[in-house]
Amino acid sequence: MHPVLVYFQRDMRRWVRGRLNVYSTLIMPAAWLVFVGLALPTKFTDNYLDFIAPGILVLTMLTAGMQGGSSLIFDKILGFFNKFLALPSPREAILYGKILFITVRGLLQATVIMLLAVLLGATIFTPAMVLFAYLVLTLFGVMLSAFSTAVALYVDDHDSYAAVNAVLSMPLFFTSSALMPYDVMPAWLATIARANPVSFAIDLIRSFAAPPVAWTSLLGLVAVACLMVAVSSLLFRRVTV
Amino acid sequence: MAMIEATGLTKDYGGLLAVDGLDLEVDREIFGLLGPNGSGKTTTVLMLTTLLRPTAGTARVSGHDVVREAARVRERISYVPQDMAVDIKLSGRENVAFYAALYGVRSRDRVDEVLGVMDLSERAEDRAGEYSGGMRRRLELAQALVHEPEVLFLDEPTIGLDVAGRRAIWTHITELRRRGMTVFVTTHYMDEADRACDRVGIIAKGGLVAVDTPAALRHRLDGERITVRVDRRAAPFGVEGARLVVDEADRLVFHADDAAESVPAVLAGLAAQGIRVRGLEVESPTLDDVFLALAGRQDEGGAFDDRRFRTMLRRR
Repeated sequence: MHPVLVYFQRDMRRWVRGRLNVYSTLIMPAAWLVFVGLALPTKFTDNYLDFIAPGILVLTMLTAGMQGGSSLIFDKILGFFNKFLALPSPREAILYGKILFITVRGLLQATVIMLLAVLLGATIFTPAMVLFAYLVLTLFGVMLSAFSTAVALYVDDHDSYAAVNAVLSMPLFFTSSALMPYDVMPAWLATIARANPVSFAIDLIRSFAAPPVAWTSLLGLVAVACLMVAVSSLLFRRVTV
Repeated sequence: MAMIEATGLTKDYGGLLAVDGLDLEVDREIFGLLGPNGSGKTTTVLMLTTLLRPTAGTARVSGHDVVREAARVRERISYVPQDMAVDIKLSGRENVAFYAALYGVRSRDRVDEVLGVMDLSERAEDRAGEYSGGMRRRLELAQALVHEPEVLFLDEPTIGLDVAGRRAIWTHITELRRRGMTVFVTTHYMDEADRACDRVGIIAKGGLVAVDTPAALRHRLDGERITVRVDRRAAPFGVEGARLVVDEADRLVFHADDAAESVPAVLAGLAAQGIRVRGLEVESPTLDDVFLALAGRQDEGGAFDDRRFRTMLRRR
């Protein structure tokens, strides 16, 4: 088995066997969908669920990806990381294993959300849409998990990591186009939202439901994800304790 | 070619010389590196295991340079840090199979074999979280042995274990040496180093202050002490292999190379003068004494990471 898959399998087993983790990661985004998607009194659309579902999908990947670095933090704190570094398999394999694990975990959550959204009455999720959403979420997840795992490489304790994560995640989400379209936002928020990478991913998914599809954004996402992976690989190759 | 050869090995952390020009040769033996906290033990191990790049000097492990041929070195060694890191949610077998896969060991039998060697076969299917501290350490050794390394690096292998656990670990380490493996171990427990190591090196302030067999190091001090309580002053007399160092009215102290051999001669000499012996005590210097004499006390260079220490202890 390839070293990347060996690391992936280890993280997956550990995650699945800690049952509470699994339930909480699946319930959290579902709660968003129900409590925000169904409860918010909106005037700009008849089916707010159709509008917000892409937002919640990206939010879920954002949370999963940004928080994913803590997996490496714990490996560092508990002494696994030093053992891994002394192994002959390439060090990038550790990084790629984490990227794969964090992204797959996020996609599992996304699947739950899409199923639930359909049950609650969302109409946008045609088979083609589902595939497109997976594609965007995968790219977004790879980008974020490469970033957060590289951050984890340089942060020594979990508290600092959580602080970095909190400072970035929440503002990124609330200044995005997740909850409302640009034309109903206050002007200052719309300006920020248009520059926010989270909005890019959300708008991209929405554009598939209401063409034209923003293919240039998709290419941009591919480029940024590749860049992030390249930089992180370089950092992992160089790491010393 | 020795399995570990270090020449002028140096690590300079921006002005703090953690290891200063270390020269060392270790070959197919159990070598114990002893030193106070912050003396450079771990830094030395990290450089020899390719995790840390030396500032100066070279080291070859298993015939390969630790900087230029790091990948080759990593294929031939195992490193078990002191943290006791086993995946508690994975079974013993899964823990070992994980390392087997990363080392590219294909045979399933090899996993069973090392579990057997470490006496874990019966519990192989249980989650490692249900293992005792001693079992977890043996599981780590099983992981480390799965690719049949030529050199095994162990950082504080018995820290936090109970007496039976420690003894089991050392029995296994000794057995590995008997099969031709080179074992490089750091420890704080002098009695364990004394019993198990073929040679020990004492490191202080980043440099080796002594390298020898434990027995030879003990003899560097004044040998063993024989203290005899007597009822009156004795006329001086000679005993082969011993030297009279204290001569008081009611107490005589000899330094002897081998006390067990000299005691009868001392008693015979006193009996010849008709002196009654009221008590006799023999003290051997321990490696502790040697260690304190050579390494002294040294405060830690780095800050003590108490959280990490607590995490570590909780997992035993």
